[in-house]
Amino acid sequence: MDIAALQKKMRGAFCVEAADLLAELDSSMLELESRPQDADLLNRVFRAIHTIKGSGATAGFNEMAAFTHHVEELFDEARLGRLIITPQMIDLALQAKDMIGQLLDTEDPSSLEGPCADIVDALSKFLPLKSRPATNGHAKASHGGALEQRHKIFFKPHAQVFFSGTDPVSLVDELCALGRATVTAGVEGIPSLESLNPEQCYLSWEVELVTAQPLAKVKEVFLFVEDESEIRMTSQLEPARGGSEVASPLTGFLNIAGQSLAALAGFLAQRRAATEPDLTCCKNYLRVLKTFQASAHHQGRIAVVALLEEQVHFLDSAVASNSAFSNQTTDALADGCQKLTDLIKSIGQDNQRDIMSEPAASPAPAGAPQRDTVPASESKKDANHGASSIRVDQDKLDRLMQSAGELLVARNAFPVLAKRLALEHGLSAVGKEVKDAGDHISHIAEDLQAAIMSIRMMPIRTVFQRFPRMVRDICRAQGKEAELILEGEDTELDKTVIEQIADPLVHLVRNAADHGVEMPDARVAAGKPRAGKITLKACNKENNVVIEIHDDGRGMDPARLKQKALEKGLITASAAASMDDRAALELIFLPGLTTAEKVTDISGRGVGMDVVRSNIRRLHGTTTLESHQGRGSKITITLPASLMVSKGILVEAKGEVYVFPMSSVVQMARLPRQQIHRHEQSHFVTFRNEVYPVLRLADHFAATKPFGEVAWPAEVPMAIVQTERGRVGVVVDRFVSDVEVIVKPMGRDFANISAFQGATIMGDGRVALVINPAGLI
Amino acid sequence: MTKIIMIVDDSTSMRQMVNFTLAGAGYLVVEATDGIDALAKSATQKVHLFITDLNMPNMDGIQLTRKLRAVPEYRFTPIVLLTTESHLEKKLEGKAAGATGWVVKPFQMEQLLAVVKKVCP
Repeated sequence: MDIAALQKKMRGAFCVEAADLLAELDSSMLELESRPQDADLLNRVFRAIHTIKGSGATAGFNEMAAFTHHVEELFDEARLGRLIITPQMIDLALQAKDMIGQLLDTEDPSSLEGPCADIVDALSKFLPLKSRPATNGHAKASHGGALEQRHKIFFKPHAQVFFSGTDPVSLVDELCALGRATVTAGVEGIPSLESLNPEQCYLSWEVELVTAQPLAKVKEVFLFVEDESEIRMTSQLEPARGGSEVASPLTGFLNIAGQSLAALAGFLAQRRAATEPDLTCCKNYLRVLKTFQASAHHQGRIAVVALLEEQVHFLDSAVASNSAFSNQTTDALADGCQKLTDLIKSIGQDNQRDIMSEPAASPAPAGAPQRDTVPASESKKDANHGASSIRVDQDKLDRLMQSAGELLVARNAFPVLAKRLALEHGLSAVGKEVKDAGDHISHIAEDLQAAIMSIRMMPIRTVFQRFPRMVRDICRAQGKEAELILEGEDTELDKTVIEQIADPLVHLVRNAADHGVEMPDARVAAGKPRAGKITLKACNKENNVVIEIHDDGRGMDPARLKQKALEKGLITASAAASMDDRAALELIFLPGLTTAEKVTDISGRGVGMDVVRSNIRRLHGTTTLESHQGRGSKITITLPASLMVSKGILVEAKGEVYVFPMSSVVQMARLPRQQIHRHEQSHFVTFRNEVYPVLRLADHFAATKPFGEVAWPAEVPMAIVQTERGRVGVVVDRFVSDVEVIVKPMGRDFANISAFQGATIMGDGRVALVINPAGLI
Repeated sequence: MTKIIMIVDDSTSMRQMVNFTLAGAGYLVVEATDGIDALAKSATQKVHLFITDLNMPNMDGIQLTRKLRAVPEYRFTPIVLLTTESHLEKKLEGKAAGATGWVVKPFQMEQLLAVVKKVCP
């Protein structure tokens, strides 16, 4: 595995998670400000910071982790009840949280050392004084001397050791892997089979280890079991001696032999003393013999093995022939025991004799057995463990959307074909079947489209969630007090719309906090509550999403707007004079206009509102403004909920077809010509007690003005359409049908024509221009 | 036989990092997001070693250890706790619950591998 690639992968994975955690911290910390004692909240905040620190360090973001540690401390104290969170702490915590984000983004974390140190300093003032342990006390082997030491280690694990998932034998193996070792198992503790509990550990081990590894490493083997186990260690320097290699295994065997012989002697004594035949004793005797035999065999002590084999056979046959408990048997066994003892003694004295030819018979493995490494390709990785959501590449989603949309348009061909079959070829029956098939496909296509759309839909909360912090920061910076109320956070919008609406909303909320809300004293003087109220509301209305930003601040002054516009030469004097208040308010959308007394850091450069309006227009939305001096302002943004396929009304004017987006059409009617009145160069229509200006589509796009009277037909097809300037009656030659269209953008050269959103291809292949009612006038 | 290791941690990136490291060393890794998830998954799939964080929502590492020890199949399976230096006192609680060992966070991947090889050879 390439280390660099692995590291990069880990860092990437962590950054994705960190982004989510940091965003969550933003809102959690603010919530904490109003509920500083909420234990649940405190824990959440702590856990998020804790995870950022832990995972971040593991991913290699060491400076960030070190910095985060200090923030974590603060919240650790808080959640343990040793500290109460104050607004100043939240201020600092938010700063720190921003710093964490910066540390993750930057190429050179050390460049942020200064600012980090400042924050850490400030944090430490809140913390009770205590000595901090050094980070990450992982014992490193400081010196690996060439000098060898001989350690005698006695290890008796706790009887319940298996219950902690530990296998003591693996620990013994680990010890042996450190050098050259002899192992003797202590089996005295093993009860007879009937009383043996397989879940308990009855064994102990004596290990003689010769190793150059430091003592710490030896002790480390028992790291997890030292508390409950009996461990005794004596160490001495091992003189460089060649003979020790061979001596150690022997010593081990001699130990075992000694133990076994002692056990046998014990049993023999028992037998002699027993008044009744004791089968258990026999069994134990046999067991010891066999264990001893196995050891001897392991050591390659053939003579010993042979002797023991003899004994085993003898006892077996004695038991079989029911003479196991006779004195003769006992004597024979004692005899055999003695022979063994003598043999062992001679082995001890002369350790050259009796060694088997195979040199490989060493008691303890000199090194850990090699583990087969399974190649990584064989291990199947299931990438979606426990995932309730999947991250999808945006491109893939776009392609899917595209296809679905095209399917919806392509299905429009079916009715057309059906008609042709019926009319041009007289095949009405088949024509109907074609139409039915088309309808069926239509339904499926609509379902598909809706499903894909919903994938792209995200709650507007994702945009809203940054605003509480922003309002708070502005207020604190300016000494104002304001409350931000969010409504309709669950309202869903297409992802692209959300991304594009973010900046305009930021502008508007900033304006509300910066310009709208007055200073607390001014508010009180005006009879308002001290804290301003800014409401950000989103809701669904038909096919649109409506977002309102409302503040109860000072509102806008139409007179001042006119004056400023005049000063900047944005309007003429006569225009200013004839402008009513409503129109004056619209002036705010002119580029370069600001009535702010001074340009603050935040807003006042006058580039805000016009950018807002054009951004929203680009999304085929509208922006309207209401304001009352002294009482506040309200800005309403209306956006189509979905981007791509729209329902519309197909109309015809002067031989061309156009599509009106359904959401903009308030009413369609055929009006008698009498209801249209002329006034100077324009026409008006009265309809249901309302008066609407009339616009003839045919003339409008041809940019021609009819001379003299217009020849109105008896019945005038008219669509009452919502534009930015209010409602307009649009006269067409004819209503054709409802349609569903994919609005394709017009292409760069035509993009600035505000009257059109784009174009679409009809079922019969004709191109229809899609009107943008907002920009119609 | 390939050993199957379960990593239980509510941090996605931590799980991924452990996964990368252990899979590269030849183990099969199963991920779980908290104690409850871990219990569910280990019921349907044999696990040879559990590595679990202490601090998790829904069910923490110590509780998970206790519950696992109550499952006959996992009474003797090694369980390693991921703990931070400030929580070394959790060590005792962990041991009492039946944990095999621990790794201190933040850790280098080699450390984790060493402990894995130690408890699950």
